[in-house]
Amino acid sequence: MFTYTLRRLAFAVPTLLIISFIIFVILDMAPNDPTASLPLTIPPEVRQQIRDALGLDQPMPIRYFKWCVQFFWNEPVNLIEQWTGWTIGDSESRLRVISWQTRSPVVDLIAERMPQTLWVVGMSYVVGILIAIPIGVISAYKQYSWFDQFGTLFSMAGFSVPTFFTGLLFIVIFSVNLQWFPSVYDTTHRVTDWDSFWFQVRQMIMPVMVLALFNASQISRFMRASMLDNLQQDYVRTARAKGLRERAVLLIHVLRNSMIPVVTVIALGVPQIFGGAIITEQIFRVNGLGQLLIVGIQSADIPLVQTLTFIFAVLIVLFNLVADVLYGILDPRIRYD
Amino acid sequence: MRLTHLLGTAVVLALGASAAMAERGADGQLNIIYWQAPSTMNPFLSGGTKEVEAASMVLEPLASYDQDGNIVPRLVEQLPTVENGGVAADLTSITWKIKPGILWSDGTPFTANDAVFTWQYCTHPEGGCSQSSYFDGVTSVEAVDDLTVKVIFAEPKPYPYTAFAGSESPVLQAAQFADCLGAKAPECTDANFGPIGTGPFVVTDFKPNDVISLEANPNYREADKPAFGSVLFKGGGDAASAARSVLETGEFDYAWNLQIEPEILTQMEAAGKGSVVVSFQTSVERLHLNQTNADSGLSAEERSVYNDGNNPHPFLTDPEVGKALSMAIDRELLVEVGYGKTGQVTCNVLPAPELYASTANDGCKTQDLEGAKAVLDAAGWVPGGDGVREKDGVRLSVLYQTSTNSVRQGTQALIKQWWNELGVEVELRNIDASVFFGGDPASPDTFQKFYADIEMYTNNFSGADPEAYMANWRCSEIPGPGTQWQGSNIQRFCKPEYDALVDEMAKTADLATRGELAKAMNDMIIQEYSIIPLIHRGGTSAHANTLGGVKMTDWDSELWNIADWHRVE
Amino acid sequence: MADGGDPRVLVRVDGLKMHFPIHEGLLRRQAGSVKAVDDISFEIFEGETLGLVGESGCGKSTAGRTILRLYQPTEGVIEIDGRDISTLEGTALRDLRPTMQMIFQDPQASLNPRMTVGSIIAEPLSEHHAMNATDRRNKVYELLDAVGLNRDFANRYPHEFSGGQRQRIGIARALALNPKFIVCDEPIAALDVSIQAQVVNLLEDLQEKLGLTYLFISHDLSMVRHLATRVAVMYLGKIVELAPRDALYNDPKHPYTQALLSAVPNPDPKTEAVRERIILTGDVPSPANPPQGCNFCTRCPKVMDRCRVEEPTWRDLGQGRYAACHLLEDA
Repeated sequence: MFTYTLRRLAFAVPTLLIISFIIFVILDMAPNDPTASLPLTIPPEVRQQIRDALGLDQPMPIRYFKWCVQFFWNEPVNLIEQWTGWTIGDSESRLRVISWQTRSPVVDLIAERMPQTLWVVGMSYVVGILIAIPIGVISAYKQYSWFDQFGTLFSMAGFSVPTFFTGLLFIVIFSVNLQWFPSVYDTTHRVTDWDSFWFQVRQMIMPVMVLALFNASQISRFMRASMLDNLQQDYVRTARAKGLRERAVLLIHVLRNSMIPVVTVIALGVPQIFGGAIITEQIFRVNGLGQLLIVGIQSADIPLVQTLTFIFAVLIVLFNLVADVLYGILDPRIRYD
Repeated sequence: MRLTHLLGTAVVLALGASAAMAERGADGQLNIIYWQAPSTMNPFLSGGTKEVEAASMVLEPLASYDQDGNIVPRLVEQLPTVENGGVAADLTSITWKIKPGILWSDGTPFTANDAVFTWQYCTHPEGGCSQSSYFDGVTSVEAVDDLTVKVIFAEPKPYPYTAFAGSESPVLQAAQFADCLGAKAPECTDANFGPIGTGPFVVTDFKPNDVISLEANPNYREADKPAFGSVLFKGGGDAASAARSVLETGEFDYAWNLQIEPEILTQMEAAGKGSVVVSFQTSVERLHLNQTNADSGLSAEERSVYNDGNNPHPFLTDPEVGKALSMAIDRELLVEVGYGKTGQVTCNVLPAPELYASTANDGCKTQDLEGAKAVLDAAGWVPGGDGVREKDGVRLSVLYQTSTNSVRQGTQALIKQWWNELGVEVELRNIDASVFFGGDPASPDTFQKFYADIEMYTNNFSGADPEAYMANWRCSEIPGPGTQWQGSNIQRFCKPEYDALVDEMAKTADLATRGELAKAMNDMIIQEYSIIPLIHRGGTSAHANTLGGVKMTDWDSELWNIADWHRVE
Repeated sequence: MADGGDPRVLVRVDGLKMHFPIHEGLLRRQAGSVKAVDDISFEIFEGETLGLVGESGCGKSTAGRTILRLYQPTEGVIEIDGRDISTLEGTALRDLRPTMQMIFQDPQASLNPRMTVGSIIAEPLSEHHAMNATDRRNKVYELLDAVGLNRDFANRYPHEFSGGQRQRIGIARALALNPKFIVCDEPIAALDVSIQAQVVNLLEDLQEKLGLTYLFISHDLSMVRHLATRVAVMYLGKIVELAPRDALYNDPKHPYTQALLSAVPNPDPKTEAVRERIILTGDVPSPANPPQGCNFCTRCPKVMDRCRVEEPTWRDLGQGRYAACHLLEDA
């Protein structure tokens, strides 16, 4: 398994390099201009100066090479410096990946956005899983019962109603009419005591629930299908013949085996958390990574979009590997050599 | 803490409402929402309105515009004019006298050197300064003494209030930005995110594209201002939800740029938590009529290229056609459907300030379809077999493009209906705004390339002087392959008489005469029908009913007088 | 039995029915039922092997599972050791599990792929006996020895074994609780022919050593002839004939039994040469919609008009022989 992981990681390096190049080429070919969002009152000469100052006058291969150096060498060195306090080489003149729009290092922007995205989107994933698994288990165990029908309705609704609709609905009900929860997420809020913790919970509830419903609807279907699959297996009958309690049959034998495909689906979905939830973040103004990406796209902030999409690509490749390795660990029948 | 606060409130109540403004920071926190979040606090590095407005709470120019578009002194004692000797008689320099005692928020004195440095910063060739046009024609900025700034122009400058006037041209602190000149500008992240200013607030935390936390500037020049102790400036989301957070949930005190359907805004306002404010500046939604041939059969060297007048449009150069097209439009209806109280009917491309606004074209305000038909009949454009008017084998068939936006598509549909009734064939097209305004010379879909007969968008000018704006339509400003399609004369209008008026205005200092010249230029463009103005558009914002002191303006930053904002019961 | 003494009845099945409901339509109303087991009665004596034979789909596996209460029977009585278990639930039923066990047809599918062999065998021990870990491990080793498997296999997973080894694991698992009665549900059907004999011999050895009672379900008539004390023949949810082994094989009474046996090759070349095959025509009717009268009437070579109207009764033919056929009434 270890050598398998190492080999997969080694293969990932050229794959990711090619991906980074493709992303760069696509972004370069896209018809966008970092000065397009500026007011028309700014004259064309000034726009050209701005573009030159951003380095857009250089040819594409050179810009790609510069990005590679900045991202693969300068940024890691800078990280090491920050963690250890050492000074490696000439850290003053080392160029980092700079966002065109904010003129600040892209990696710092990402680090700043990470907490709210992990809190809100990550929490919604966890909540979604916690809702989905019992629903999937009970729906499968009591197939065609009213609970199962309700679960099917729930996941169909959760899956097909877009988050911008549920989000808006939640705001109108809970913020405008009932005034229970704030409609705007405060990213400057710090949790220091019970009161501030309670405020954090209140401002997280709506975005978390909107996303959790969406996540739960997908995972509960996977869970249900996998449970149904396993409930019909002979080993379940064996377990009953052994005289196990029904709870033990269900939780130890069926659930554990059913979790194998579900866990891999969950692992494959983790990069989405880091991708943020563009729409939900916009609606509740959580302003995490999803909003960073969309603002970057709107203002043609190529270094930001390039870096973010590339990090997503890395995460996707990584979590594909994690899913495969998890599968190998959970299912003794799978062996990687 | 709580007790003293209560006592404080009691005292305030006892002394009456006026006393509430008497103490800096007494009104607590002000919550502002800009649905487009600022990406930096340095307006020189991003020319976007949102950045300029956010920065205007911290950075100040020497003079700014009030809600009526009048220029007023801010960091100077009085406005320099020729009469008071502030502007040289030959119009080649202006001397600003800084008020004594003004401090930066770090406690150091504000001096003329800071203005000199700001000029150097923004005109550095590698800096990519977004506001460098404010220094056009400036040969040098000198510090005569600590409190005297002299701006010297290469040529006589009849309207000298460009550099250091208005929120787009504020003064930076030399000490903070000394190492940030030219290519190094973007590396000064701390300074760009937290500039030291003379304004009423100081940045405490800046999260780009998300939220800005500010607190009252302890060294602000008026001891009792600002009334608010801190500001939370949140960004993100969309215009409708920003409006909702002020008008319906009351979570925020002020929301900016609420371009949403008028009836939705009216509904939200009915909740009674806040009110919508509109201010008109110079934004005009207009049609540009291509004066060159945009036939798709032409080569890249010819299509929509002026070629010294050798490639005229087959019919849009005929003012009678333009006149009929203009007469057929019911502008009142366009306002009602798409703009509500945020729009007004206009017949001028230069609708304000009042001094410059012509009244010669007001006939367009009422629709006259029959009159329009008569105009075309008289000009020899008669309906052909398919109902489309034609003359000498040329059919009145136009391609009409604009950016993708629901209000614009609604306007397009209405206009198409009227023109069809007139006997003009119309094909509609809409292009994503980022491409349409993107300026990519390789793209066929930019508004500069104008590969269509008619296009619609909004333009305006900043500040209150139209000289540079009216110069947009000189012959030399026509975009083409030779200039990488750069140039502001989008409709390719060229008239030597017009260029002569532009030149004359550049030499005239007297305001009344300038007004006459501007009107003459406006009328020439309108009566040649190369531009058909439609709607004078205003800026729309909303503020909570508990927020007082808002003087909405579109001439400057909306937050220009935030130092005077306060809480009302 | 061999000693001629009066054998004790260990398992008694009386009028057992197992009907599975069929749901149809939008609201999933019950539209009918599959009569997998439809009114069967028999007894199994302590220490004997009762063979249960029949074609695929005749309900013999369902019968086995219902007797062990892996299904909730629709009707009828199941007595094990004199106790009616047909309506027991929950703990009461679980407490009886140690006495009755099952060996399954597909040794691969019937073992939980995520558990080691050791924990598969030990799980019922921890469920039913208060045993410490060492005792449990020793018991597992003992069982592995008993079924002829290496002790080291305890830490491996089922997929690492061959079919025959897996079936031995299944047997060890079934033996863990010292059962008296084991239902062997086609335990050799999924195995290679070379392995089948080994497993059958193991089952025989264990029966001898531990005094087990088997219900041996199989479609393999020769294997049943080898193993069984008595044999029951099932057709479409019903038992058509039950008799001591030799009596049944030498002189089948029911037309269906005759047809089945005629298909079995005989090891004696002389009799094999004159063996006359009875070829049954038509398909087995659906158990959801069995024919009126005798279940076998649609395919019986000796069918009479009466067969299509009246269901034959289960009658004692003497000498421990039973059958249900109108022909035998007249004889």
